[in-house]
Amino acid sequence: MPEIDGGGRDQRLKEALEKRVICRRCRVEMEPKKTFFDYLGHNFHTEVLCCPQCGEVFIPEKLVNGRMAQVEQELEDK
Amino acid sequence: MSFLEDFEKTLEEKCRQHEPPFCQAACPFRLDVRTMEEKWKKGRFNAAYRTYQNTVGFPGIVAVLCQRPCEKACVRARVDAPVALGLLEEATVRLARRKDPNAYNLPSKGRKVAVVGAGLSGLGCALRLCNKKYEVTILEKEPVAGGRARRQMDPEAFDAEIRNQFQFETPDWRLGQEVTSLEPLMEEFEAIYVATGPEGPDFGLTPDPGGAFASTRPGIFLGGGRTGSDSMTALADGLDASLAVERYLKTGGMNEPFRPRGTRLELNLSLIEKKEPVRPADGNGFTQEEVVAEIGRCEKCSCDACMKACDLMRTFEKTPRRLWEEIYITIHPGTLSRDGTWATRLITTCDQCGLCKAVCPQHIDFGEFFLQSHRAMRKKGAMPWPFHDFWLRDMEFSSGEARVCRKPEGVEKSAYAFFPGCQMAASDARYVTRSYEWLRSRRPDTALWMTCCGAPAEWAGEEELYGKHLETLREEWRGLGEPTVIFGCPSCRKLFARYLPEIPGVFLSQVMLAWGIEPAAPEAGAEFSDTYAVFDPCTSREFPELQESVRQLMDAHQLGRESLPYEKEKARCCGYGGHIGIAASAYTRRVAHLRSQESQRPYLTYCVNCRESFAGQEKEAVHFLDWLFGIHGNRRLPSTVTEKRERRLEAKKWLLEHDWHETVQEEPRMDLKVDKELERKLSESQILVQDMEDVVAHCQETGGGAVDPETGHIIGHHKIQNITYWAEYEILPEGGYKLWNGYSHRMNLEGE
Repeated sequence: MPEIDGGGRDQRLKEALEKRVICRRCRVEMEPKKTFFDYLGHNFHTEVLCCPQCGEVFIPEKLVNGRMAQVEQELEDK
Repeated sequence: MSFLEDFEKTLEEKCRQHEPPFCQAACPFRLDVRTMEEKWKKGRFNAAYRTYQNTVGFPGIVAVLCQRPCEKACVRARVDAPVALGLLEEATVRLARRKDPNAYNLPSKGRKVAVVGAGLSGLGCALRLCNKKYEVTILEKEPVAGGRARRQMDPEAFDAEIRNQFQFETPDWRLGQEVTSLEPLMEEFEAIYVATGPEGPDFGLTPDPGGAFASTRPGIFLGGGRTGSDSMTALADGLDASLAVERYLKTGGMNEPFRPRGTRLELNLSLIEKKEPVRPADGNGFTQEEVVAEIGRCEKCSCDACMKACDLMRTFEKTPRRLWEEIYITIHPGTLSRDGTWATRLITTCDQCGLCKAVCPQHIDFGEFFLQSHRAMRKKGAMPWPFHDFWLRDMEFSSGEARVCRKPEGVEKSAYAFFPGCQMAASDARYVTRSYEWLRSRRPDTALWMTCCGAPAEWAGEEELYGKHLETLREEWRGLGEPTVIFGCPSCRKLFARYLPEIPGVFLSQVMLAWGIEPAAPEAGAEFSDTYAVFDPCTSREFPELQESVRQLMDAHQLGRESLPYEKEKARCCGYGGHIGIAASAYTRRVAHLRSQESQRPYLTYCVNCRESFAGQEKEAVHFLDWLFGIHGNRRLPSTVTEKRERRLEAKKWLLEHDWHETVQEEPRMDLKVDKELERKLSESQILVQDMEDVVAHCQETGGGAVDPETGHIIGHHKIQNITYWAEYEILPEGGYKLWNGYSHRMNLEGE
C-alpha cells in the first residue's frame, strides 16, 4: 500500500502536521495519526491530525490542494 | 467489428496525412520538395544541393534536362502560377559552392556487377553501386558515356558533371565495347543491369512482374530507355535499380518492391491565398533573394487540416494515427495492470466541437470517435467519476428542482414552446423571463419548457441515463401539444436535431428576426460598442440559419459587425468546453485565452457559455440578448456556480408567479455569510455555497470539527455524494455564521 506522502519528504505535509488544532468536541489537541484513504479503487495512507479521543480528522487546505490533488490526478491518469 | 477497428479502417482508407505532395508525386526522382523548401528559405544552397544530389545523382544534368513535371503538378498551377521549381533547382546548382560528392572511405565489397549501357540510367546505377563499393564495370558501345542525354545538352558540361560525380569512384570503364551476348558477362559478374537505351538490344530478356527492374533470369535487371522511359525517368530507374541489384546480391531475391507512384492528397484550393510569382530580374536565373521569395510561395502541401484547426491535436501534438493508437490501447490495455490507459484524460478533453470533421477533406469525424471511446470507457467503468460528477449533478438540478414545463393557463395545445436550456437562466434569469414575455406578447399560447437537454449525460458517455432523459423529453413535448420548439441554446438544438429529430425547432434569434424585435435602450451603466466581432459558437456549426439570423438582427439595427478568422462552418470552441473544464482545466484556459485574442474587437456571441468563457479571460464580450435587452454591457464578470443555481430558481419563481399566478414558497436557507471573493474562489473548484451550508449544518448538528486556537474558527468536513467538502467558519455572536474558507477533495477518508 503506497504512502501518500512519498516518504515524508513533502514540506507541505510537515507544515500540515505542525499546525496546532483542537478537537471541537473533546477539547484536546489533535495529533498526527496514520489515516487511510481510497480513490478509484486504490488504497493509500498518510499521517494527518486526528483527535486521540474521538478520532475527528483535520486536513488543511494546503494538503488538499497540494499533494492530495496531485495524487488524485495521478490516479485518474493511471 | 468494434468502432475502434472501424475507425482504423476509416483512417487507412481515407486519411491523407502521410501522402506525398503533388510535386514529389510527379517527380521521377520523388524529390522531397518539403525538405528542399526548408533549406531554400534559409538560403542554405550547399545543403539543398546535397539533398538534390542524393536524390538525382547528377544535379548538373538534371537541372538542365528535366522537363519539370513537378511544376505542372504544383497545387499553385491551379491557383495562380506554379512554384518555379526548375529555376530553383538551377539556382541551387549555380549558387552552391560545395559540389564535390561524398568520398566513402570503405573497403571494396569484392562483388562484381556489370552495367550494360552508359546512358544516364546505366550511369546512375553504376554511381550508386560504386558509392557502396561494389566492383562495377560499365560497358558501352559508343566511345563516350552519356547516350541520348549527352546529345540534348552542352556535351562539355555533361562530361564535367559525370567526371565530378565519379571523381572518388573507380569503375572499370569499357567504352567502345559493344555487348552482343550476356552469356560471357554472366561468368564474370554476379549481377547485370541492362540499360541499353530505347534503340538498344534487350538480349531476349522478359520483365518479371515479381520485382522492380527484374527480368525472368536471376541476377539480370532491366531498366531505363530500353523499357520505354524518357531520359529523366531512365536515370531515376538506374538509381532505383541499384537497390534491386543490391537486394539480389545480399539475399538472392529478385523481388525489390515497386515503389508507389502518385498521391491521394487532396487540398481545399479555396484556402490557398494567391501570391505573385517571382521572375528572375536578369531574365535567366534566380538570385539568392529571389530563391527565398519564390519558395515563400510553396504551400508545403500535406494534409494536416485537422491538426492545424483542432486545438486538442495541436496542443498535444497528436497526429490522427497517434490519437487512434493511444485511444485503442487505453480501451484495450495490453497489460493487466492497465499501464496503457494513458489517454483517459485525453478522451475527456475532446469538446465535441466538430471542427475536425468540418475541415477534413475526407470528413473524418474524430469527435464521434472520441464520443464512442468515451462510452466504451464508461461501460468498462474506467472513466474517473469526478470528470463528470459536477455536470451530472447539475443536470439533475436543471431537470428537477429548477424545471418548468408548462403551457400558459387555459391553453390546450401550444404551437410554440420556448426551450432556453439550463445555462441561459443560470447566466441571468432575465434572459429567460424577458424572452418569454416577449414571445408571449407575440404568441400568447407559447409554452415554457425549461429543463436540461441531457448534454451532460451525452458528454459523459452515460448512454442509459441519456436514453431515459430523451424519453422524458419526448413525453414532455407531447404533453405540450407537440409544439415547434424555440431554442435559446445552440447546444440543446444540436442534441435535439440529432436524437429527437421528430421535434421541429427554430432559434430564438430567428424568431426575433421574423417577428420583429426592437432593441431596448441600454440600462444605466451598461456600455456597448458600435461594432462587434461575431463569435459563432461551435455548436452553431450545423445551423447556418442561426448564424445568419444573428447577423441579420445586427444589420437590421445598425450594429456593426466584423468576421473572425474561424467562423460559421469553421467555428471554434470558445474554451468553455462543457464537461472538459474539470478534466483538463489548464487546456480549457489556454483555449479560452487563444480564442479571446483572435480580434481586438469585443465579441458578440449567442451562446451564454461562450460569453462566460470570454468574461473569464477579461475579454469584452456580450450575449446577443445583452444587446437586445440593453443589459450588462461589455464588461460583465463571469458567473459563479452558486449564482448559476440561484438564478435558475429565481427565473422559475418569477415565471410561476407572473405567468401562472402561483406563490412559490422559498425554502428557508441557513444564514451563512460568504464574501463574493470567496464565492468566486469556491466556484473555481465547482463548490457551491449550498455545499458549504450543508457542511456547516452537519458540523453544528454533530458538534464535530476542529478548532483553530489562533482564530477560533471551526474547520469541519462532510461528504456529499462522492466529494468531501471542508468548511472553515465562525459562529457569529448576533446569530448566523460566516464562512472563511472552503475546499474539497475527491479521495475518500476510509470509513466515510
